Amino acid sequence: MSSTTEQQETNPRGIPRAPFIADVEQHLGGPDVEIEPVLNQFQDALAKYRYMENNLTQRRQGLEEKIPDIKKTLSMVEYLQERREGKKVKKDDEDDLDEDDDDPEDPKKPLRTTFELNETLYAEAELEDADTVYLWLGANVMLSYKIPAAIELLQSKLDVAQHNLSTITSDLEYLKEQVTIMEVNTARVFNWDVKRRRERKEREASLGKKS
Amino acid sequence: MSSPQQINVADLDLPQLADVRKQLEEELQHLTTSFQQLKQAQAKFKTCLENVAEVKPDNKDRTILVPLTNSLYVPGKLADAENVIVDVGTGYYVKKTRTEAQKHYTSKIAFVKGNLDALQETIAKKQENMGYLVNVMQAKMQAQAQGQGQAQQA
Repeated sequence: MSSTTEQQETNPRGIPRAPFIADVEQHLGGPDVEIEPVLNQFQDALAKYRYMENNLTQRRQGLEEKIPDIKKTLSMVEYLQERREGKKVKKDDEDDLDEDDDDPEDPKKPLRTTFELNETLYAEAELEDADTVYLWLGANVMLSYKIPAAIELLQSKLDVAQHNLSTITSDLEYLKEQVTIMEVNTARVFNWDVKRRRERKEREASLGKKS
Repeated sequence: MSSPQQINVADLDLPQLADVRKQLEEELQHLTTSFQQLKQAQAKFKTCLENVAEVKPDNKDRTILVPLTNSLYVPGKLADAENVIVDVGTGYYVKKTRTEAQKHYTSKIAFVKGNLDALQETIAKKQENMGYLVNVMQAKMQAQAQGQGQAQQA
C-alpha cells in the first residue's frame, strides 16, 4: 500500500510529507549536536499527524452513517416517481404484479403507509399524490422540491459523499504512512544518540587508559 | 456483599476502609446512571402519550407531512385516526385504539415511576452508608495522627 515514488511535499489535501532521514548525522548537522530539539520537533509533527488522523476518522464515521441514509431517501423518491408515472399511464402493466380485479396497489388509489410518530409509536397515513417532496437538509432547514429535482439533488449529494469518503480513506492511509515514518525517524535519531554516547565513553575510557 | 453496618466498621483499618469506600462509590455511580436512564425512558413514554393525543379525529382531514425516511417527507393525510401501532417489545407491534394506546403508555409510565422510586430509596441508603463510613474514616485518621504525634513526643 505504498504511494507513488513521486510524492510532492504535500499530498493533494495539504498534508505535509514526512522526510525519511537516511543519514542521521547529516540531518542533525554534526557529531556533537544535541538531539533534544530535534526529537521535540519530531514529537510535534507526530502530534499534528495524530490530531489530523483523529479528525479524519471522525469525519469518515459521519460520512459512513450519512451515505446509507441518502441512498434510502433516493430510492424512496425514485419509487414515488415510478408510481406517479405508473399512474399517468393507466394501463401500464409493469406496476401490476397481481392479476386481481382490484390491484392491491391500484395506481388510482393513494398509497397507504405506516410512519413513525415516535420510537415505539406508529400511525397510518395516506400519501397524497403530489409532485413535490420535502427534503430535510439539516440545521432546521427543509425545502420542497419537485420530484425530478429532488432525485437530482439526492444523487449529487450521494456522489459528493462517496467521493469525500474515498478521499478521506486515502488521506488516512497516507497519514498512517507519515506517522510510521516519523516514528522510525525518532527511533533512529535516538539510537544514533545512544551509539554516539557509547562511542564517546569508549574514546574517553581509552584516552584515560593511555594517560 | 454485606453492607458495612453488619461488619464492625471500627474493626477495619484505613486501607480497608478506603477500599470499601471506593466500592460504595462505584455502586453509587452505577445506580445513578441507571436512575438517569430510567428517567429518560419515562420522558420518552410521556412524549409517546402526547403523540397519541395528536392523532385525533380533528386532525383527520388535515394535510400532514409524512416522514418516509430521516430526511424525506411527503404530504399526506391521516388514514386512520382511531388506531395507532405500538411497539410492545420483542418485535411485536400491536394495533391499538387511541384509548388503549394511551392506557398502555400511562401504565408504562407508572411502572417506570415505581422503579424510579425504589431506585431513589436505594441510592439514599447507599449515600447514608457512605457518610457513615467517611465519618469513621475521619475519626480513625485523627486517632492515628494523634497517636503518631504522641509517639514522636515520647
